[in-house]
Amino acid sequence: MPSNALSSVKEQSLQKLSHYGPVTSLKIFKSSLILAGYGPILKVYSVDKASNTTKLIFQKQVFGRNKIHSIAVSDEGKILVCGGRSFAVLKVDEEHCKLQVGSERAINEWIVSCAFLNETTALILNSHNTVYKIDVSQWDTEDQHFSLLEEVHCNEKSILYSGSIRILGNGDVYVAAGTVMNGVIIWNYHTKQILHNLTDHEGSIFGVKIDRNGKYVVSCSDDRSIKLYDLETAQLLATGWGHGSRIWNLDFFLQMDADVKIMSAGEDCTLRFWQYNQQESSLDQLELIENAHLGKHIWSSDIDDETLGLCVSGGADGKIRVHDLQNRGTLLSYSLVEISKQTGLTFQKNEIIKQYCELEVQTLFLTSHGQFFAMKANDSSFVKVTIPETLSKEFNNFGIMHGFKQSNSAIVCTRTGALLKIAFADEQEPSFEWIIESSSPNKVTNFLSYKGETSTYMFTDCPNPQIPFTFHILDHRLKIQKTLTLAQPERTFTSTFMHIDETNNWLFLGSRHATIAIYDLNSNSNANISLQVSAVFRKMCPGDTITSISFIEGNHNEATLLVTVRDGIYMYVKFSRVEDQEEFKFTILQENKLSKGFLEGAMIKDGSLIVYGFKSSHFYIWNETKQVEITNELCGGAHRKWELITYDEEADIDYKFIYINKSSLFFKTFKGRFTDANYGIINEGTHGREIRDIAISPVAYDDGNRLLLTASEDTTVRLSSVDTNGIITTYWCMNNHVSGMQKIAFINEEYAGSTAANEEFIIWKLSKLQASKVPVITEFARLPPSSDIPDLRIMDFTTIESTEGDIIVAAVYSDSSIKLWYLNTNTAQFVPLVEDRYTTCCILNVNFIKVKGQVLLVTGTTDGNVTIWDALECFLSTTDNTVTKLGPMLVKQQLHQSGVKALAIQYNDNDIHIFTGGDDNALVVSKLILSSNEVILEPISFVESAASSTITSISLVSTNKIFVTSVDQIIRLWTFNGEDLECDAATYTTVSDTGCSDAFSGTTNGTSLLFVGGAGLSVWK
Amino acid sequence: MGKSSKDKRDLYYRKAKEQGWRARSAFKLLQLNERFDLFSDIERVVDLCAAPGSWSQVLSRELFQKQDKKNAKIVSVDLQPMVPIEGVTTIQADITHPKTLQEILNVFGGEPADFVCSDGAPDVTGLHDLDEYIQAQLILAALQLTTCILKPGGKFVAKVFRGRDIDLLYAQLSYLFEQVICAKPRSSRGTSLEAFIVCLGYKPRAGWQPKLELNKSTEEFFRGSGIGKAENMQYLELPEDERLIAKFIACGDINDVDSDATYTLDTLDKIQSLNPVQLPTAPPYKRALELKRLGQANSKRV
Repeated sequence: MPSNALSSVKEQSLQKLSHYGPVTSLKIFKSSLILAGYGPILKVYSVDKASNTTKLIFQKQVFGRNKIHSIAVSDEGKILVCGGRSFAVLKVDEEHCKLQVGSERAINEWIVSCAFLNETTALILNSHNTVYKIDVSQWDTEDQHFSLLEEVHCNEKSILYSGSIRILGNGDVYVAAGTVMNGVIIWNYHTKQILHNLTDHEGSIFGVKIDRNGKYVVSCSDDRSIKLYDLETAQLLATGWGHGSRIWNLDFFLQMDADVKIMSAGEDCTLRFWQYNQQESSLDQLELIENAHLGKHIWSSDIDDETLGLCVSGGADGKIRVHDLQNRGTLLSYSLVEISKQTGLTFQKNEIIKQYCELEVQTLFLTSHGQFFAMKANDSSFVKVTIPETLSKEFNNFGIMHGFKQSNSAIVCTRTGALLKIAFADEQEPSFEWIIESSSPNKVTNFLSYKGETSTYMFTDCPNPQIPFTFHILDHRLKIQKTLTLAQPERTFTSTFMHIDETNNWLFLGSRHATIAIYDLNSNSNANISLQVSAVFRKMCPGDTITSISFIEGNHNEATLLVTVRDGIYMYVKFSRVEDQEEFKFTILQENKLSKGFLEGAMIKDGSLIVYGFKSSHFYIWNETKQVEITNELCGGAHRKWELITYDEEADIDYKFIYINKSSLFFKTFKGRFTDANYGIINEGTHGREIRDIAISPVAYDDGNRLLLTASEDTTVRLSSVDTNGIITTYWCMNNHVSGMQKIAFINEEYAGSTAANEEFIIWKLSKLQASKVPVITEFARLPPSSDIPDLRIMDFTTIESTEGDIIVAAVYSDSSIKLWYLNTNTAQFVPLVEDRYTTCCILNVNFIKVKGQVLLVTGTTDGNVTIWDALECFLSTTDNTVTKLGPMLVKQQLHQSGVKALAIQYNDNDIHIFTGGDDNALVVSKLILSSNEVILEPISFVESAASSTITSISLVSTNKIFVTSVDQIIRLWTFNGEDLECDAATYTTVSDTGCSDAFSGTTNGTSLLFVGGAGLSVWK
Repeated sequence: MGKSSKDKRDLYYRKAKEQGWRARSAFKLLQLNERFDLFSDIERVVDLCAAPGSWSQVLSRELFQKQDKKNAKIVSVDLQPMVPIEGVTTIQADITHPKTLQEILNVFGGEPADFVCSDGAPDVTGLHDLDEYIQAQLILAALQLTTCILKPGGKFVAKVFRGRDIDLLYAQLSYLFEQVICAKPRSSRGTSLEAFIVCLGYKPRAGWQPKLELNKSTEEFFRGSGIGKAENMQYLELPEDERLIAKFIACGDINDVDSDATYTLDTLDKIQSLNPVQLPTAPPYKRALELKRLGQANSKRV
């Protein structure tokens, strides 16, 4: 049996630049630091309570292989970190900004939890319910001689999933042990006596804690419940139900004098706060933070409600977030009775508040019966707005009101399109002025406005398609400068949103059925003739009503706009036309669909895309760029009058959401305590599930950065950029796939492709915004599935460019199918060329080889074979519309015992080498020999045990140099010297389920960046 | 996913139902046997972590029906209750308990076992290092019973996950067996880390007397066995672990059904969807699901 010498080879030649992965432990330290076990790396963040900012002050990999699963701190500030069998003692020297790190030490068992008994003694609870008492006084000496003083146990060595040690003020020490099969065991460390065996849970115990006063025990298990016990009596006090899956973490609040409160977090990515009310058998769920992390699993959390007023959570997505416990915004509500009392207005029985708008010092309201009142901003009191009855009756049953803060005025539109201006001045009654008197008998269905840089614009819609729209251009004091009529587009057009591009003087009107119309306001200044529509783009995307249009960037003859569709789609659309030509065209640069109910609008704020809308009974505001929820409000759902007002950075609040629920008026204000501190994200992360494939763009930007595409088990595709230091910045998280992903790859600079289960195969188009240089991505083409119920996985794909600039695509399937298409880059259509089949086994890899006038197709399969077909004929027949078979099978060679998991092809001057890695741990180099009459694949080098587990990927780094990943979590660089494979370097990676890689060599400095993906993502140099 | 779509995706699942196996894992043992001839010369067999019992079914058919060994004894042990299988003694017990060992020995009339197998796996959490540790503990628990009951020269087969520390286990097993092979049956999915250690030729450690005792951890059990398990160092330094790579052998005929492939049902006669042979047992979170269905789970948001 060969020994595993290949697990550590010249480790120093590989340097880890960055890592994103599961956050395995968190600890708030003395209300000033947050300690995070980021896999084997300890990260230390300082928390500034005044500015609410956090800063990474140290990070250091403290363990070679093990992840940090628990952290304990001593009174004097020593830190004990444990994980796997390893532990280490450290100290943060804040004064000298130093992290003093002791060496990695180990016991012979998995460690469940740890604590400091005193400054020189550590207690380590192992997975067999035994506490190791260890003298750590020598931790900062040269030898670091630790000695095991005693193994303390309660004579019940059940195997544990969880546990904790509680040291009380009076010196009592309790061990709370969460067993795999026997419930919770509470025992006394000093007496070694079992106090209680709590067996109310079903299944394994995943968390158990004793509060700092030693009065309560809380535990959670596989049964998804939380149980609170009295520590002294072992009486079950209450149970909390609500988590949708397993709970991994529990903690008591620090302040427990008045109420018993508990925080919990788990697999469902929610954080929940619970309160125990005496005499109630259920814990009361006080608050729920949903989508705290992406994908699955909050692995770690801690809470400081006492001083910092926050809790911190760490997910499988690699993110560390702080959540505010204090300032959660205000909610004020007023019933009509209350408003009536304050204003002196009498409301009719069926009278409701219809319209409102926020002005300079008040918010103005209009009722269904034409009454106006205002709420003063300074004291939130309601006052009547006296309006002559002749005016008031115009708004009986109809009135659409828009507010204009700058001029402290509102414009109200009547049913016939007359516009009344209500202008407020300091301490005076408002003035009323008709700026448009109604002249038409036609009803108005919508009144839209837009405030531009130079002018303000107003628009009234009419349901009769023969009657033109009316459009006014006003100055900022709301004086009409010009009025135009706009001929309605053909076919029904219900306007829903208006935007003006003042650079080009274009009017954009959003409508239903994802339709946008453009009027060129330059083209006609004759008031007597209606302006004709310049372009109508119908069904620009799936979905219905356009809910918002706003500006992203523009230029002469082009405007890129952010468009939202109620069904959940947001797009960046570039509208353009050629100088002196009338025809407009549009290109969708970015399109994504949110699975968040109704999307009502979007904006760019501090470089983040913020979207908002309704999901079931909630209104939400979501930061799409950062992938975090900003706030939500239980308002009853989408069917109500509502208004979202956004404030700039200097304001006291970020957002105000005004809505009506059950005829009462609600004002929800929100100020994110950590909005300016990266929304409380103190460490950026990656996908929420395992990464299945990684692709690096073939060409670098000028600054050396490259684009990075990752595909995950969470079905999303993330588009990021990576700099030369390995720091990853994510721009987009695309939801187009709905099935578990298989492969992602760049086709060239402009296109990429991705495949997944259920026959999903998407071709993506990549571009870049001009001003901000933000990369954008959109689905360019999608392969139609071959059956109504597609259940095949598309395992891999490969492409080759045709002479016409189109793309020939080959894909391989889980049912052994091989298909080729001609992808026309103008029409985005897949034209089938070849449908063939290998055997019945699953095909894992496919590649084209184009050399010396030949085109070959190479596959690797689960039966261990590498097979090569002649595919040249398929290319010659691209013009006729027949679907053919592949050319003759030239080679079928078994190289591995089972699945060929990885396959990479290298072209040298005269040789083609195929590197393969298998489920059988082997690495093989084969030489492809092409002669005029035959093709031979000759294995020339073979390493039987190139890893201790499945080899999952091979990436070419440079000539004859390959980067190999395997499930044993060792990454290896191999060089092929023409005869043998030699392992140049091998080192451990903390990325488990190690499944994919990519690599590139820098063109200038010659360093290579290596990417490893799995349960996390690491970048090595 | 309905029953039929799982049938389509997984031909072994369908075949298991057709052939009356309680789980598709029956094929894994059958394919291991095809390659390693595990079932010849065995009479006394222990199947650990046996529920729902497909491996016991395989052993029962093999020894009693095929080989007609009237004296064969098969004992299946699991913490979960198991529906009885003809000719198999089922024991609902903890495999780490000394009483369990005694019960098995009683069935065997005090004679040692010829073959011990375990297809056990814990529920996974998603923390790979923890899951691999728990699986390793399960194998060590099976192995400690094995060292107490297996005859010299006997065989041991167990499910493993080929994760980061699998080479530690290979190293330890190599002290106890003449041959240690990592075998991957074709019926085990290529996308899964699952494989089986096939350990042939048990060689008891000289001078070490394995003894199951109550409240002794697996570490304590193997203390002094000299199988290369790291013990506590004098000053708790990080020990150098012994690591070995076991030979990998894929087994099952290359033309057998591929567990990673998707098959078309049309090719398989138009068969009705079959009910599983054995229904799954109730999960611990059954009540949580019931409460959710009734809308009684606390879901208040503020």
